Amino acid sequence: MAYAIDLDTCVGCGLCENMCMAKAIKYNDEEHETNVRVGSIILSPGTQGFDPTGYDIWGYGRFPNVVTSEGFERILSAGGPYFGHVMRPLDREEPKRIAWLQCVGSRDTHRCGNDYCSSVCCMYAVKEAMIAKEHIHGDIDTVIFYMDMRTVGKDYEKYFLRARDKDGVRFVKSRVHSIDEIPETGDLTVTYADESGNIIEEIFSMVVLSVGLTIPDTAIELANRLDIDLNKNNFVKTGPFTPVATSRPGIYTCGVFQGPKDIPGSVIEASAAACLAGADLSEARGKDTKVIELPKQKDITGEEPRIGVFVCNCGINIGGIIDVTSVQDYSAKLPNVVFTDQNLFTCSQDTQEKIKEKIKEHNLNRVVVASCSPKTHEPMFMETLEACGLNRYLFEMANIRNQDSWIHSKTPDLATQKAKDLVRMSVARAAALNPLKEKIINVIQRALVIGGGIAGMNSALSLAHQGFDVVILEKDRELGGFSRKLIHTIEGGDVQAYIKELIGKISAHHRINILKEANVTAFGGYKGNFTTDVIVGPDKEKHIIKHGVIIVATGANEYQPHEYLYGDDDRVMTQVELADRLENKGASDLKNIVMIQCVGSRNDENQECSRICCQSAIKNALDVKESNPDAQVFILYRDIRTYGLLEGFYTEARRKGVIFIQYKQDNPPDVQADSQGLFVTVRDHVLERDIRIQTDLLALSTGFVAADTEKLSRIMKLNRNPEGYFLEAHVKLRPVDMPGDGIFLCGTAHGPKLISEAISQAQAAASRATTFLANSEIKLSAITAKVDIEHCVKCLTCVRSCPFEVPVFNLTEKVIEIDEAMCHGCGVCAGVCPRQAIQLSFYEDDQIACKIDALLAGGM
Amino acid sequence: MYLLRAIQKGADGVYVVGCLEGTCHYNEGNFRASERVKHVQMLLEEVGLEGDRVRMYNLSSGEGPTFAAYAKEMTEHIRKLGPNRLNK
Amino acid sequence: MIVAKRKPFEEIKEMLKGYKKVLNVGCGTCVAVCLAGGEKEVDVLNIELDMAGKLDENPIELGAMTIERQCDREYLEALDPLVDDYDAILSMACGAGIQFLAERYPHKPIFPAVDTTFIGVNQGVGWYEERCRSCGSCVLGLTGGICPVTMCAKGLYNGPCGGTNKGSCEIDKDQPCAWYLIYERLSRQGRLDNILKFSPATDWQNQIPRTLIQPGYKKSEEV
Repeated sequence: MAYAIDLDTCVGCGLCENMCMAKAIKYNDEEHETNVRVGSIILSPGTQGFDPTGYDIWGYGRFPNVVTSEGFERILSAGGPYFGHVMRPLDREEPKRIAWLQCVGSRDTHRCGNDYCSSVCCMYAVKEAMIAKEHIHGDIDTVIFYMDMRTVGKDYEKYFLRARDKDGVRFVKSRVHSIDEIPETGDLTVTYADESGNIIEEIFSMVVLSVGLTIPDTAIELANRLDIDLNKNNFVKTGPFTPVATSRPGIYTCGVFQGPKDIPGSVIEASAAACLAGADLSEARGKDTKVIELPKQKDITGEEPRIGVFVCNCGINIGGIIDVTSVQDYSAKLPNVVFTDQNLFTCSQDTQEKIKEKIKEHNLNRVVVASCSPKTHEPMFMETLEACGLNRYLFEMANIRNQDSWIHSKTPDLATQKAKDLVRMSVARAAALNPLKEKIINVIQRALVIGGGIAGMNSALSLAHQGFDVVILEKDRELGGFSRKLIHTIEGGDVQAYIKELIGKISAHHRINILKEANVTAFGGYKGNFTTDVIVGPDKEKHIIKHGVIIVATGANEYQPHEYLYGDDDRVMTQVELADRLENKGASDLKNIVMIQCVGSRNDENQECSRICCQSAIKNALDVKESNPDAQVFILYRDIRTYGLLEGFYTEARRKGVIFIQYKQDNPPDVQADSQGLFVTVRDHVLERDIRIQTDLLALSTGFVAADTEKLSRIMKLNRNPEGYFLEAHVKLRPVDMPGDGIFLCGTAHGPKLISEAISQAQAAASRATTFLANSEIKLSAITAKVDIEHCVKCLTCVRSCPFEVPVFNLTEKVIEIDEAMCHGCGVCAGVCPRQAIQLSFYEDDQIACKIDALLAGGM
Repeated sequence: MYLLRAIQKGADGVYVVGCLEGTCHYNEGNFRASERVKHVQMLLEEVGLEGDRVRMYNLSSGEGPTFAAYAKEMTEHIRKLGPNRLNK
Repeated sequence: MIVAKRKPFEEIKEMLKGYKKVLNVGCGTCVAVCLAGGEKEVDVLNIELDMAGKLDENPIELGAMTIERQCDREYLEALDPLVDDYDAILSMACGAGIQFLAERYPHKPIFPAVDTTFIGVNQGVGWYEERCRSCGSCVLGLTGGICPVTMCAKGLYNGPCGGTNKGSCEIDKDQPCAWYLIYERLSRQGRLDNILKFSPATDWQNQIPRTLIQPGYKKSEEV
């Protein structure tokens, strides 16, 4: 749907229907039912922000300068009510001080009953504060009132630190008591209790409520109609090992409906859900698609350019401003133009047919369309050319809508003049275009999965279900990775039983080949055609694997602490070791247990948060309490980061009497062991004094460290971040794709995460790989750089300048080569070549220069 | 080259618009572009033209109004500089 | 590789004063590799000259041609049919190329557009470092592969001067002392005895242009 009518504003005249020349509006259209037969269903109805209206404490709706975070996003937006200028609603003044109140509608059992954490508000509040500072150059005070800062995602902690330490965003751990307006100024008094319980008042020009995520009623109704189980907060009930499967087979879910999460998490789950939905239907894949038969391409070598120009009115979008007929007449006089036409909608189906006729009738060998953006319409017109045997690269577009009529609507004469300029440029370029050949390469229908942990095994199994062969490499003697050390998830899922079942499934699957004690020794090729050499097993047997895609799932390990007497005293152990002890010996012999959070995370050596250690500690604390309710458990923490639905376990732990004591990074707990026992001293910030606890056991909540992939990343040229986690193509929007085509990433190789998250990312990687493998061949873009080896001096400037390391010196042929399968077509090499021996096809020097010349020949 | 050529052929000003720094689809393309623009500015100064006739702006694809603001700023700026003296 | 640097534009403009038709000749080998005088640089310079000429109301007509190497007669031949059409020739080659060009067209004024700078290595795109002074008597075998002629400010063949200062050269503390580096490397290789071997200094006095004929390439009449 392109546009919707706002029924609150519409007067109901129905004029729009009559005016629309494309007849695209049915004003009296009614809701009607359609039956669609499908094999699987994915539910992604999304979320809506918590509505704070009517809650006295926040004053939302009563005080104009209290806005929700959603409202503030609009204020920051260039397309928003104040065009990106930060102003407060009351008087359109630039605010001097802005406060963000966290956890509005989240982690709040007594006001709204939402006992979960919405996971995203800490990050967006930091972001909004940073952008507000950026938009208001100069003095603005930004303060975030929070309970725990939960910046748990990849690189999120670094962002938080930058905001706090470099950009001067102030963070105040507190409980907000109330907000009151100062009627004379519209400013707001925020009254809060600080960590020591002192009541403090501060005045702000504006308050932003960081509202949480809730499930809309329509989504709840939908789930009820489909008979899907929801949990008490109306998120879809899923299992720790089946994160996107609903209670009803064949129906999957993703995004916030599954549980509160951020954009990358939602994108990952979307692909995971697509993977499972697609696997159910894999036999039918491609059955309903139609193949378009293309006529043989006409050879135009030696022909003089015969250009056809089609000028579009785009309804009134162009025609209402620009004198299209005059542009058409003008273009008819341009060199090499043999035919011109104008259309109401050049992109319509019947116009395509008309263009085809005209190409044949006038024997056109170049086509120029003067209409809208090539970004949206160029591929379609190129297909029209192909359909009548003309090479698709003999096409050029002039954007006389977005770049002209839309922005110069107040000066129609000048707009018409500009349209002529644009058309003249396009005609000049069209004459310089050459047919280009798109190379077609075969895709080897096999995946290589590197890593045999939970992520690797899940992606292998998912791909096998999709009908593709998989080779899975495991560096150890056994499959399972780090999960072999884990007992159960916080929800109670039995990890050992799960991986046993998973190993059984992948071992039995005829499409999966498992190579253990495997090490990659060499790698080459390009998307669809990779070759990897592997040394396998104790006998170092050499395998050469040909594959079309790669899934990187090399995992991560538990940090090995050197802090707090670990290794020196048997009573000091990691959470993983504690879980093992509790499984084997229980907790009946324990009176006191102390846990220390953030060991090996959020410090100078490793700035990042390891995401999972808070829940590990709470999981073990709950186990202790289960086995021995009289045991005292102390958790010494910096921020408790039980994001999403994990918050419920934090609440449960507090209810069962687990004692949480906050410590500061610059004053960590002190641990002493002597003949009397093990003693932990920590500064309590509420009491403002040191507390000394005698403990039977000290559990360290150790973070993650990425697996050692230094060699692998070098051989396969895969980039990692400073912490050793692999880099995705786009942090938010492409969290499972790696920058190179056909290479995907999942599990803890990407960053610390829970088992359920690793599983959904593994399924997502399999899904992304499936879209690649589903085609037996791929057509490469012809827009690639080509080297004229006659003139090349092999100076290596291109080799060193290419952002993707594509140009290489071929040692056998002794020439510089650019592999068109790997070239991204960015043109950097063509720009730097000192001998102008590299040209980027479709954007060759003369094809651009002639446009500049044509523009300026018209006189400015 | 294209920038120089445009000025040589009589353009009064040219501005290059790239993505925000660090968000280039081709990784470092916009950093390179900004270096090139600086180089062209230097060349124009050498020749005796105002280097500031070429400029680089960065914005994201979602910032229509910013783009328009930059376009206006550039137009104003070039108006102040006056016409390209090569057009005499 | 020979490394060169484009001359300041003012200087080039000054040299060409009074000439109406100039052929700019690029060189496709060393100076192209060091991004100073290949096709691209020829085009850039020509655009600059064209604009400057128009601004001064003294337009120059410019031609462009880049040949493989200006230090080879066969490649220069490609210029023969063009040269007569021009009043002057601008060369973007190294000093050797420019002279060879001038020898071939003795009646034409020939001007250098680059300053030949040194023989050096390519450390990265656009980044070059001097490594050799073509002294004619290489001692690198004795000095652990570090050239004292190039790397030492005084070009000393047999050990450092009194100015060596904790590994730095007396002229600049950021410039390492060549002989310190040589000592370090030889000692790591266990070849410190080499440092005692005496190398006679090159006689830079009264140097005339040198000619070299590789063994086996002498023509019969020269034997």
